[in-house]
Amino acid sequence: MLALLSIEWLKLRKYRTFWVLLGLFALLLPLWNYEIASGVLKLGGSGKDGINLLNTAYSFPEVWANLGFWGSIFILFLSILVIIITTNEYSFRTNRQNVIDGLTRMQFFHTKVLLVVTFSLIITLYFLLLGVLFGKGYSGSFSGAFSDLKSVFYFFVMCLDYMGLALLLSFAIKRSGLAIGLFLLYSMIIENIAKGIINSYADAPYGNLLMLQCSDELLPFPLMMMTKAIISQVDKISKETYLAVTLGWCAVYYFAGRAILRRNDW
Amino acid sequence: MQPILSIQNISKSYGPVRALNGVSFDVPESSVFGILGPNGSGKTTMLGIILDVLVAAGGTYSWFGGIPHAEARRRIGSLLETPNFYHYLSGYDNLKINATIRQLKEDDRDRVLKQVGLLERKHSKFQTYSLGMKQRLAIGAALLGQPKVLVLDEPTNGLDPAGIAEIRDLIRTLHRQGITIIIASHLLDEVEKVCTHVAILKRGDLLVHGPVNEALRNEDVIEVRATDMHALEEALKQMAGISSTKISEGTLLLACEQGTGPVQVNEYCISKGIVLSHLLLKKKSLETKFMELTNN
Repeated sequence: MLALLSIEWLKLRKYRTFWVLLGLFALLLPLWNYEIASGVLKLGGSGKDGINLLNTAYSFPEVWANLGFWGSIFILFLSILVIIITTNEYSFRTNRQNVIDGLTRMQFFHTKVLLVVTFSLIITLYFLLLGVLFGKGYSGSFSGAFSDLKSVFYFFVMCLDYMGLALLLSFAIKRSGLAIGLFLLYSMIIENIAKGIINSYADAPYGNLLMLQCSDELLPFPLMMMTKAIISQVDKISKETYLAVTLGWCAVYYFAGRAILRRNDW
Repeated sequence: MQPILSIQNISKSYGPVRALNGVSFDVPESSVFGILGPNGSGKTTMLGIILDVLVAAGGTYSWFGGIPHAEARRRIGSLLETPNFYHYLSGYDNLKINATIRQLKEDDRDRVLKQVGLLERKHSKFQTYSLGMKQRLAIGAALLGQPKVLVLDEPTNGLDPAGIAEIRDLIRTLHRQGITIIIASHLLDEVEKVCTHVAILKRGDLLVHGPVNEALRNEDVIEVRATDMHALEEALKQMAGISSTKISEGTLLLACEQGTGPVQVNEYCISKGIVLSHLLLKKKSLETKFMELTNN
């Protein structure tokens, strides 16, 4: 496993696109959250006119849910990075060369799966670090810091879900432009349309169980949670169900990717 | 002696196009084995299958008597179709990846880069290399770890005449060291100059295979004319050592087996009381032979 990851590291360590996108993610995620927490980004206006609804949400334990929600938007960009890295292998035909040099097809496949898992772990650790810094900064102490740690786990699962789908699309489509286009179209538009249609006909919001939406439901928009709490609305689908379905989708990506790489010509 | 590579009944289709029809042959150890054929004959498909980047529709192959394929590939230096490298990495960094996957203990990147004449440019990015330099890097990658077997698909692609001569010398040198080299080419010249064995493919069919001097035996043709062409043909049809006769434009063409030449033909005719007015030995070139094999 480490041998496979070290091969991947040799490919990435001098790849500028990788470092730039990763660096921007690392820089912009805290900056964005800081702006929201300190009230620079406001809803319903700008400057002193807007209402800063979110600035209390960065103390423990709410910080996890908040960071998690905004993080889910930033994960899109890291998913694109996964697509670029994987489709590069096809455009350089290095996927062939890796096999010719002695990897099995499945080792090549698992190298990329490991990459997604490793990315997810690193991003989650970074998420944990930001959570501690923000939480400490805004609540002044660590009280309640660990009462919502399952959000950290949800964040990890969401990373796997997004980047897993990105990886499967890369294997299936092989061309970076088309794969990125379809991934963005799906995540931003197609899934929302499909979700809307399903939810308007079904007696429960089953549309929320779609590939990316189900992990989004693990870390919903913070204001939505507040509103739901106020009107004491109970979700028809539990967090546990969303978690199970998300992990189910990850398994689908894994086995579909395997099947594609095993059967086809490279 | 156990063959380095044994191919059994390999077939492959691309949709309705049959790329390989039940091809079987063995590659003996220490041979320079040429896979020869015109464009689109299935050479690269064949190599793609034995290197596991293409999936055969039927048939099997075994390396070194049947060790696991991935392990075999780590012991083989291969160049398939085009040089495949990470564009944003230098030649030197690219070779590190090849060597790591091949699980080579020793770092001999400088040695192979020197061998293919890229040492000065080793830290330049792959995308800045010329076509010839990319090809050289690919050959260098195949030479990493001094493998006992090389698979080279059109190794002289993109090289200038000096580069082609260098590669030819390299192949000869490696052959002298006992290394088995499988080389696919549509350049006859290349194969004729370096190969010990050959397999000729045409639209997916294996036409002939074996040692070069058997598979591509240069049959000589003798042209003869006499006053009575009919009597001449009748007489020579009976002669031992003549495999076929054909009259073309008033001249009788004789295909001869080895050991039969103009002297034997002349003696035979005199003994039959026929006087020849024309006797000419025509050496058939390898190219003509190749055209004959692949064109009809």
